[in-house]
Amino acid sequence: MNPFQYLTVRTPESAVAEVADHGRFLAGGIDLLGEMKDYIAKPRRLVNVKDLPGTREIVRGKSWKIGANVTVAELENDGEVRRVFPGLQQAAAEVGSPQIRNVATVGGNLAQHSRCWYYRQPDVHCLKKGGSTCYAREGENKYHSLFSGNPCISPVVSNLAVALAALDAKVIIRRGKDEVPLTISELYAKAWDNPEAHHSLGPTDLILRVEVPEAGRKSAYRQISEKSSFDWALVSCAAAAKVQGRKLSQVRIVLGAVSPVPYQVAAANELLEGKELDDTLIDQANQAILKDATPFAHNGFKIPIAEALVRRTLHQLVTSS
Amino acid sequence: MPSWPKKLEVVGQPVRRVDTSVKATGSAKYPSDMQPAGWLYGMIYRAPWPAAKVTRINLEKAKKIPGINAVVAEREGERTVRFYGEELAAVAGTSKQACLDALRAIEVEATPQPFVVKEEIAKNPNSPRVWPDAPNLGEANVREHGDVDKAFADAAAIVEGFFTTPVQIHHPLEPHGNTVSVTDDGTTCWASTQGITSVREGLASYLNVSQDKVRVVTDYMGGGFGSKFGPGVEGGLAARLSQIAGAPVRLMLTRFEQSLAVGNRPSSFQRIKLGASADGKLVAFEMDAFGTAGIGAGRATAGGGGGAGFPAPYIYIVPNIRVKQAHVAINAGQARAFRAPGHPIASFGMESILDELAVKLKMDPVELRLKNDPSEIRRREYTIGAERFGWKEKYKPPGSSAGPVKVGVGCGGATWGGGGRGSHAEAQINPDGSVEVRCGTQDLGTGTRTLVAMVAAEVFGLKPEQITARIGDTQFPPSGASGGSTTAASVCPAIFTTCTSALTELQKRAGIDNVRGDNWKSACRKLGVTPVVAQGRWEEGLSSSGVGGVQFAEVAVDTETGFVKVRKILCVQDCGLIVNKLTCETQAHGGIIMGLGYALYEERVMDSATGVVLNPNFETYKLPNFADVPEIEVVLLDMPERGVIGVGEPVTIPTASAIANAVANALGVRVPSLPITPNRVLAALGKVKPASTAT
Amino acid sequence: MLLPRWSVQWHITPRMSDHPHNTSHPAEFSRRSFLKGLGTAVVASATVPVSAVAAEVEELQKIGKTKALGPGPVPIVLDVNGKPMKLNVEPRVTLLQALRDYSNLTGSKEVCDRATCGGCTVLFDGEPIYSCMKLAIDAQGHAITTVEGLQQSGQPSTVQQAIIDADASMCGYCTPGFVMTVTALLKKNPHPTADEVRTACSGNLCRCGIQARMLSAALKASGVSSTMRTEVIRHA
Repeated sequence: MNPFQYLTVRTPESAVAEVADHGRFLAGGIDLLGEMKDYIAKPRRLVNVKDLPGTREIVRGKSWKIGANVTVAELENDGEVRRVFPGLQQAAAEVGSPQIRNVATVGGNLAQHSRCWYYRQPDVHCLKKGGSTCYAREGENKYHSLFSGNPCISPVVSNLAVALAALDAKVIIRRGKDEVPLTISELYAKAWDNPEAHHSLGPTDLILRVEVPEAGRKSAYRQISEKSSFDWALVSCAAAAKVQGRKLSQVRIVLGAVSPVPYQVAAANELLEGKELDDTLIDQANQAILKDATPFAHNGFKIPIAEALVRRTLHQLVTSS
Repeated sequence: MPSWPKKLEVVGQPVRRVDTSVKATGSAKYPSDMQPAGWLYGMIYRAPWPAAKVTRINLEKAKKIPGINAVVAEREGERTVRFYGEELAAVAGTSKQACLDALRAIEVEATPQPFVVKEEIAKNPNSPRVWPDAPNLGEANVREHGDVDKAFADAAAIVEGFFTTPVQIHHPLEPHGNTVSVTDDGTTCWASTQGITSVREGLASYLNVSQDKVRVVTDYMGGGFGSKFGPGVEGGLAARLSQIAGAPVRLMLTRFEQSLAVGNRPSSFQRIKLGASADGKLVAFEMDAFGTAGIGAGRATAGGGGGAGFPAPYIYIVPNIRVKQAHVAINAGQARAFRAPGHPIASFGMESILDELAVKLKMDPVELRLKNDPSEIRRREYTIGAERFGWKEKYKPPGSSAGPVKVGVGCGGATWGGGGRGSHAEAQINPDGSVEVRCGTQDLGTGTRTLVAMVAAEVFGLKPEQITARIGDTQFPPSGASGGSTTAASVCPAIFTTCTSALTELQKRAGIDNVRGDNWKSACRKLGVTPVVAQGRWEEGLSSSGVGGVQFAEVAVDTETGFVKVRKILCVQDCGLIVNKLTCETQAHGGIIMGLGYALYEERVMDSATGVVLNPNFETYKLPNFADVPEIEVVLLDMPERGVIGVGEPVTIPTASAIANAVANALGVRVPSLPITPNRVLAALGKVKPASTAT
Repeated sequence: MLLPRWSVQWHITPRMSDHPHNTSHPAEFSRRSFLKGLGTAVVASATVPVSAVAAEVEELQKIGKTKALGPGPVPIVLDVNGKPMKLNVEPRVTLLQALRDYSNLTGSKEVCDRATCGGCTVLFDGEPIYSCMKLAIDAQGHAITTVEGLQQSGQPSTVQQAIIDADASMCGYCTPGFVMTVTALLKKNPHPTADEVRTACSGNLCRCGIQARMLSAALKASGVSSTMRTEVIRHA
């Protein structure tokens, strides 16, 4: 870890101002300090944003406001979140380990960087780090993307992003002097196009809160990992919909860990709209979601896992109480 | 020839460890916790290339970093780098931060060279050579007896398979390393080691001083599993840094470094053909296998504990065999002995092909083993185990369970030598009745210190907690290094004979026939001011060698996602005289859980293009999580008449085989490669195009 | 704002005076030097009333809020095991290092240094966290409990005793981390189910293989008896 300066800010204005000169925002720090220890991130200044007013609360309403500094554990253990947004709670419960969830924040989870093992290897200068080659494409790519809009195939790994995408959440960021709302798609759009991007946030953009509409929809989240717990998802899946019997409406089905962005296909959502859920419909949805998948040498197994997760997550929507 | 008393009071009982309290309260000081006055932090600079010619190492800028007291090159002059992470230089300074900055100030001029890190590519004669004077693929070791071709021609059933096992990394939780203080008066080294004596030898030779000038201390150490015998390059560097800086240096490796340069279990690629008669008698075995021990393959070390060879055919006696085994060198860190070297590899191939045979013959796998296993003990264990496990009810035809989550069962067996000899010890009975027993062994977490206390307590008629067991110091009478499951069998007899001598002398000097138990204090008071001090050593008659064990596994496999959940492992193990029932069981747990990791999660991943290790951490080098650990049942066969044997290694051998067989039983198809990860399960089920291991 | 809840004297680590770290940046800074730059005029003394300590910390934190600290060594105060711990460290020093290398509280272990193993687990306002992934400077103002802080009058705690009884420790390097995790669990949930123990312990690794033993220990500490089955058969 290189030396740096540390300071605590109390207003978004000062946060944005203080971070400008090669700084990084410090909240939970799990992702950032890991990158700094491996010299992948070399900020000259850490701006502690944990004391920013209003960023540590969950405020209920027509649209819930979840502060950027709410910890993942707080989200996981909030009884109301569990009741109203079970998919979000389930996604939170799968983040890291209890020790990580106790410090990791909602903002940090959304803004975390790639876990690609080439990107994280300190001695590999890959495309994502400004090099010329994505080594994963021809190399060890079992954890990598099935879909990408650019030569880098490292996938998004934020559980919360996947769940929040299904819930049509907006992420409110501070950009310069403005508060700007971004959809989850917008939050990650740049990562689809730009190999060096992990998300669409600029260096001084600061996540303030997440707003989740309470739309009377059910939600669910599932993931498959190599280990029972404390492991990254090989594939994750979140779904949300209004449910009447087996009929779904306002459907969102989103995959994680298969693309640089939480992966959503409008045609699949539309296909499910207003229909009774059955296996044929699910197969059609899966076809719509996965038709553009381009597996590499070692990640083709993600396709059957994605299919199983889509099926199970949709079933969970209609069977959960 | 001494023998254990017929009636044992302490030995064989479940006895709490004498040192868990200090470990659980955080007061136990490990070598990595040592902070002698004026200590410095030490770190190593490692090659960032898998192969390179190094022409110059500039340490001057590193020396100028504030807080840096010493910087050394591992070797002077030009050198060749043969694996990613090879040690090139080291620094010592007043803080970790200073050392980190110094490492980044080291400048190395080097020309990267061609390299190869995948076994199947390395054995191609056109691949870059790891060692210029020899092909990567060493000459095969070939063994043949009987008439293999005829036996296969006559066999009623023939099965073939290609099985692979990964490079596994030891990853003891305490990293390799030492705190070393080199002074003109002598050297003290707090070593995280399995062999204080071997560290002393290594350091004395490295420093070119006599061994009496080096003291090695290991009160506690955080695991080794075969990878921590000598001082290592890191120990030598720490000693030199201490010499230059004139201060103690603590140099512990990082988790990253643990993945590169301090040992691993070799990989294997085994093509096996097995033939049997119609009634299931094995008649012919053929194997063509290779594996890598990293840069060690093909070198002098390849034949040792870190080599890529393994026993074949494992356990079973086949009248006609042809076995061809070869080592292939790659540009990667060298293998070292790893808990039961060779055996888990051998077991996986053999037990897998045996279950394939059982399927082909439509025979119960346990029955097939009972028919072919030459060990009477193991056959008995299979019978006991099958009954406890409910094998008859649980074993169903492969792939026959309903639903997407399929259950299956499997089993496998193990053999191990164990045994041990050569320990010395010293017992001191003080006039106040307190007892000190000293032995230059070390406790790796196996419970050795507790065994010392127990055996002494047995002889003296005292309780283990009344004994002060002092181990882990080269100032005590020498004992061997702790490897090969030999420690208990080497140490316990030495403690027994030593304490027996001390007891005899106490009886003589106190003039009391029975000084044990209730008479102890009054007898000791008669010693006046001079304690009883007795020395002794290992003697024949109290220990032996050779154990067998079997394990049964039950798994549930999600055929839609490839996820494997192990539900239960049953272990039936013999180990001669059980010294401490409690810690013996815990050893079995440990072996099983390590075997679980080997079966399902662990694999060092190297990158062809860059030659680096891609998973030098616990994030992607996956160890079993708490939630992955199944129900474990242990049945110990107690055979006191055989004396102490040792159990640390056999209990890890058959776990992966049993799990792999259970997965095959669940699926109806075999996953022939470890670890059995979702991608491999789904590939075996034909749900994805199989990934080529060559890329 | 949370203030440290200490009630006793300065925590003076005797070995600090001869600690090599001091040669580059004196960690045993005097109270006077500690306060220099704060613009206060409090005079040094070995024992300080609680209120003065609190005020001092508040003062420090105010400065941290208005001006950047570092990159060189910065005076900080941590609340460790109910006692204030004064250190002079660079902002890049982690809480784990501060505990182990600067204060000789070596019960917390450095195993992975990357938030993957749990060997460095400490309680942070009562919740288990990885001290390797928390900057020391960023840990100010929170109550930190290490394994050294759990013993009461020299006796092992209930959890520690259950680990001793269940033989849930082999080499012992993971043990303090597990002790902290299980302690935190039982404080929140005195009678956990086996699955709740598994979830709570999912952030702690053990290489020797004590997980099943630890499950028994955690359940035993909560008053539930073990379900582990082991049997010894005399071989005739």
